Amino acid sequence: MSRETTRPRWLNAADLAPFAILALMVVALALVPVFTQYTVRTANVYDIFQNFASYGLVALALGLTIIAGEFDLSVSAMYLLGGMVAVLTGGGSPMVGILVALGTAVIVGVAQGGLIARFRLNSMPVTLGGYLVVLGTTYILGHGKSVIYEDYNVGLRLDEPILQIFSIRSLVAIGIFAVTIVALRYLRVGRDIRAIGGDRRAARVAGVSVDRLLIGVFVMSALGAALAGALLSYSLATASPTNIGVDVLTFSATAALLGGVRLSGGKGGAIGIAAGVFSLSVLQEILAILRSPDYVSSLITGGLLVAVTIVWAPELSQWFRTTRVSASLEKDRTPA
Amino acid sequence: MIARVGLERRPLGIADYALGAWVAILVAVTVYGAATTTGFLTVSNMKAILTAASFVGIIAVGLTVIVLSGSLFSLALGQTAAVSAMFFLYSVRWGLGAAIILTLLLGLAIGAVQGFAVGAWGANPIIITIGAAGLLEGAAVWLSHGESIVPPDNRTSWEHLANPVLGLPAPVYVFIAVSILLAVVMRRTRFGRQIYLLGENRVAARAAALPITLLTVGAFGIASLYTAGSGILIGATSANASLLLVGSYTYDAIAAALVGGNAVTGGRGSIARTALGAIFIATISDMLLLRGYSTGGQILVRGIIVVVVVVLTNLRERNR
Repeated sequence: MSRETTRPRWLNAADLAPFAILALMVVALALVPVFTQYTVRTANVYDIFQNFASYGLVALALGLTIIAGEFDLSVSAMYLLGGMVAVLTGGGSPMVGILVALGTAVIVGVAQGGLIARFRLNSMPVTLGGYLVVLGTTYILGHGKSVIYEDYNVGLRLDEPILQIFSIRSLVAIGIFAVTIVALRYLRVGRDIRAIGGDRRAARVAGVSVDRLLIGVFVMSALGAALAGALLSYSLATASPTNIGVDVLTFSATAALLGGVRLSGGKGGAIGIAAGVFSLSVLQEILAILRSPDYVSSLITGGLLVAVTIVWAPELSQWFRTTRVSASLEKDRTPA
Repeated sequence: MIARVGLERRPLGIADYALGAWVAILVAVTVYGAATTTGFLTVSNMKAILTAASFVGIIAVGLTVIVLSGSLFSLALGQTAAVSAMFFLYSVRWGLGAAIILTLLLGLAIGAVQGFAVGAWGANPIIITIGAAGLLEGAAVWLSHGESIVPPDNRTSWEHLANPVLGLPAPVYVFIAVSILLAVVMRRTRFGRQIYLLGENRVAARAAALPITLLTVGAFGIASLYTAGSGILIGATSANASLLLVGSYTYDAIAAALVGGNAVTGGRGSIARTALGAIFIATISDMLLLRGYSTGGQILVRGIIVVVVVVLTNLRERNR
């Protein structure tokens, strides 16, 4: 018991897995020039950080809800709504657009988190309904079409390389990740979020204000998705009610799970999620360099998601143990 | 004994009245809409509603087995339907019967594999099915080279599946027949009762040594089999198939099951509820379309209905 708790965290193999996966992806990227004519440049590193900026905050948002023992299916719609609201209201000043998008996100987060906390509802069906409401609103706001953002300079400014590999957009994402990493690790709120994800009843008994935290988590989730969506829409100078680029939900779920977040709740942190997002961002860049068609990305991400879900599945080890036991019993029964 | 699960009489609580009121509001709005929407109360529009309800309904009643078994829902149904439609129109060159059987087997296999991961290993059903959806999309584009599938010119046998019989499109009859079949299976067979028990109380099901893996494989297998069946009809009706067919089938089917008032956590509900839910969703969508609402308006209304029903059914379940 005391051994469990005093053992330094960094010796835990499961905690190291996300970084091992990231290292593998980086090695794979480094090997690209060996097998192709292509040389990896700083531009590729810039691209990886841009991928991180586009999807990282959504993975962080979704990951937070999973750590709290919930699941926010509405993030992909919130991502689109954030972009739509920012483009429609940011005509005069992009900052105003972002603030309105964030305000919208607070409303969505409070509504969903409030219902889930107040009535103790399963978050899957609630956020599925939320997904439809948010997506429907995005369609209505855009009249079912893509909306152009007139001021192209905003996007150029956001994506202008800083120190060759960064941009304002990726630095914003990295900054928010840094704050979240510190908060989850060293502040009481981090411990409490893990507590309500691990054992909600015990957390309630221990005096954690579960309802307020749940609402907070869903607000954070909506905020992360909306901010990423708003920044991406400025960057592309367009907002659309249909998916832009990769399937955001699949990407962020895969990234969070690769990052060591468990679907049973209570486990994982922002640094792992960051490693998960970087792994997938590097993978996307490798696929882009190799000019692989889109379906390869779908197959690999889908396959990774299924694989990592099965690896983290609560009854997997038990299943192997019982099959091995019954197999050995079978062996005992057969006469030699 | 188990067959009576969910049938006990109990005093009505406030949530029952709230749910009753909500149903009354929905019915009133529908009746008002029906009376005031031009072109709604016509024979051809009724046929259109029934046809739309059939495609979604077949998927939704199959999905209900997953919901009742306590594995929430599947997010891969639209992809399964589209892939089935593509495979069916391709394989029709080997004969109609072979095409139907092969497509249904493909659907069954797709669902069974997902059900195995969920049942045997306790993998999260939502995430497994999101991953499966990605795999299906990737595989479909890969194998079809991104082109839509059209049936060979010399084969027209599949057209029968879309033709009207006695004035109604064939899918409507299929919807009614497979719904009744599944309702009987769920109420009258040991498999059905065990699914109810599994969804009602997983711990008790485990203690009673129910074959949880087999039941979950069965639930996902049936859902996917029914979805493949719907995919065949969708393919036959549209006469060409691509991933564009994925459309909103996944969310419409889930909405139908939820709007029917099935408990999301499993164990309580019925096939009939889902079938009614599918007809209701199709009616509302049709009415909104006729009244000139955009796609967004239709999605939004569906979302609001889902959220309200989820909250109210949950409150009612808690009073039991």
